[in-house]
Amino acid sequence: MFKSLNLGIAAIALTMSGAVSAGSLGIGSTATPEMIAGWDIDIRPDGMGLPEGQGSVADGEGLYEAQCASCHGLFGEGAGRWPVLAGGEGTLDTLHPEKTVGSYWPYASTLWDYIHRAMPYPAPQSLTDDEVYAISAYVLYLNDIVDEDFVATKESFAQVKMPNEPNFYIDNRPDVQNTRCMKDCADPSQFEIVTTINGVTPTGHFKEDSGVSANHYGGDEPKAATVEVAMSDAAIAGKAVYDKACQACHNMGVAGAPKVGDVSAWAARIATGMESMNSNAINGYQGDNGVMPAKGGNMSLSDDEVKNAVAYMVESSR
Amino acid sequence: MTKLYEPSLPKLMEAIATEASGMRGMDRRNFLKGGIAAVAGLSSVQMIPKANASANLPPNLPEWQSYLGRGVVAKPYGDPSEFEDLQRRTVPWLTADAASSISMTPLQDLEGIITPSGVVFERYHGGIPNVNPDQHRLIIHGLVERPLVLTMEDLKRFPTVSEIRFIECPANGGMEWRGAQMEALQFTHGMLSCCEWTGVRLSTLLEEVGVKPEGKWILAEGADAAGMSRSIPLEKALDDTIIAWGQNGEALRPEQGYPLRMLNPGWEGNTSVKWLRRLEIGDQPWHHREETSKYTDLMPDGRARRFTYEQECNSVVTSPCPENPLQKRGFVEVRGYAWSGRGKIKAVDLSFDGGVNWQRAELDDLVLSKALTQFRFKTQWNGEPWLLQSRAIDETGYVQPTLKQLRDERGGWSIYHKNSIHTWNVTESGDVFNVQIS
Repeated sequence: MFKSLNLGIAAIALTMSGAVSAGSLGIGSTATPEMIAGWDIDIRPDGMGLPEGQGSVADGEGLYEAQCASCHGLFGEGAGRWPVLAGGEGTLDTLHPEKTVGSYWPYASTLWDYIHRAMPYPAPQSLTDDEVYAISAYVLYLNDIVDEDFVATKESFAQVKMPNEPNFYIDNRPDVQNTRCMKDCADPSQFEIVTTINGVTPTGHFKEDSGVSANHYGGDEPKAATVEVAMSDAAIAGKAVYDKACQACHNMGVAGAPKVGDVSAWAARIATGMESMNSNAINGYQGDNGVMPAKGGNMSLSDDEVKNAVAYMVESSR
Repeated sequence: MTKLYEPSLPKLMEAIATEASGMRGMDRRNFLKGGIAAVAGLSSVQMIPKANASANLPPNLPEWQSYLGRGVVAKPYGDPSEFEDLQRRTVPWLTADAASSISMTPLQDLEGIITPSGVVFERYHGGIPNVNPDQHRLIIHGLVERPLVLTMEDLKRFPTVSEIRFIECPANGGMEWRGAQMEALQFTHGMLSCCEWTGVRLSTLLEEVGVKPEGKWILAEGADAAGMSRSIPLEKALDDTIIAWGQNGEALRPEQGYPLRMLNPGWEGNTSVKWLRRLEIGDQPWHHREETSKYTDLMPDGRARRFTYEQECNSVVTSPCPENPLQKRGFVEVRGYAWSGRGKIKAVDLSFDGGVNWQRAELDDLVLSKALTQFRFKTQWNGEPWLLQSRAIDETGYVQPTLKQLRDERGGWSIYHKNSIHTWNVTESGDVFNVQIS
């Protein structure tokens, strides 16, 4: 008893004198190589992290069209406000710079890393390494950085040089120097006062469920909304599931998904019957325009939750 | 239809919100839509609370004083008063999808330097993951002597710190680079919040794992759908980086990285990786997407700056502003915030004539490094138009620049790190508009 107490006091004394050696707090457990291997997904410009595997431009074309083109465009031109992937060379010093993989990105490794970690947008880390090689190769091909017979491998991919790499430099701010002048610091006769551009300011922005203040900024009065049709209990329950698991694609029409509220896009599907639609949503479905991952890629959803979400989308799209 | 009284639009919206707050789900949504239709025509006056508003004013006994109020723990976790409408707002046209978007803090409505957790600005690249803290782990590996896996319980055993620090998206004000656009403070400056953060210094964790001599950079990675990742130089990690689980006295909000985030004080918000699951020590940066394609600053010559980490000294007047017009002539206290990613605010000056003449504002006593600092200036307004500006100076002597100075150096396309002096045009009516002086 006394012995251990004395040891405790000795340890405290060491701490107080700052003589704690590195790691001596002894908190936490050893991260095993297996644990690290599962999570260590990063890729570096020097090729560190690239796995074994391969994918050709030709392999990438079909994958890109199925998995990427609905947002990024068939030729990387971008749909709506989704990122443009190709083109833009020679525009960076103009009044309309277009920052794409080819015109701006300094390293090809970033492409592999990002596609693997975060794409496709609604189903991150769902692509195989070979698929990531193939899609990366195809995006480089769309930017004329590799030829059409390019096959991306661990070795060949690390060799790819991006044209804009030399044009990045380390932050050199502070780059401007103002002085603390207090009197007659500017000539008001030279002032040109520029007001806001009309039409783009979201005055009156109103978030439906937030409760208040459509006119918080004194903007236009909100317009009368259309009358909402009463929904079934399943559909009402399905709204929350939709918000959580489905809206990423079905709100904007990503990956060929029919947009909620798009009556014509839903009509043919509704005609197949709820049973068929539920089955496709639960088990996954490869359509002409794109792919519906099983349960939208969210396997934690129960079948009933998926059915409720389908009911919500159907009843919102008639 | 008999009108009890002609309500003001804000009062009617308030009444609708009060009604709606007692409903749920679809009922509420339908009601709100009905309510909005009513507002457009101002026709459905029966929604207005029965009592005449003046019934509660002196000399009458206020209605709420005539019976008992709610008792203790009626709400074990309390809400703001139903009469308040503090809320984040977004710019719908800015991004393609809400899961990769941004909302802004209502700076115009805040009191003091702490941003309430519920209105801290949001920025996600893949939505908010719903992380179970019992199943969350932080792995630290790479060029270290002892790779570790830490539970939340483990992390909370380390020596802790609590610090008040701002966090700002480097795109704050980014919509204004090429011209005045947004007619509201919330949208010109609202990608900015300031909280008390509690956690362990990253330097403490690095001591525990033992960084090898060749270790110079740290990759921080989140557990969100975007797997957000940034390269952080070791010097910052050893200086003041916090691995935080607490925010304003409670656990981090899911929006802010629950259960664990990195916090790099004074640096662009994106480096403060949320839902932190992994730190890898390496000998060089990773050049990932959010430090190459994004969060780099395109210069007019077509070249681009990278690793532009610090949020430079900045300030803005929060009252008056477009959302807070001057209502009455006479005494006015002009109020605002100043902040610098390089340390403490030393002084703030105000100009009422577009930057020709300046006067020193008062700073509150609480001037903290890399935190919002409140300034105030007492004056009179009698209907004369103002071109109202604030100019902050930080402890390094850096003076917040004019927009012209920034544009002359950086052009109009760099998106990020716009910290120029901002101008509000206070008109004779007291209304306030966003303008730029060139």
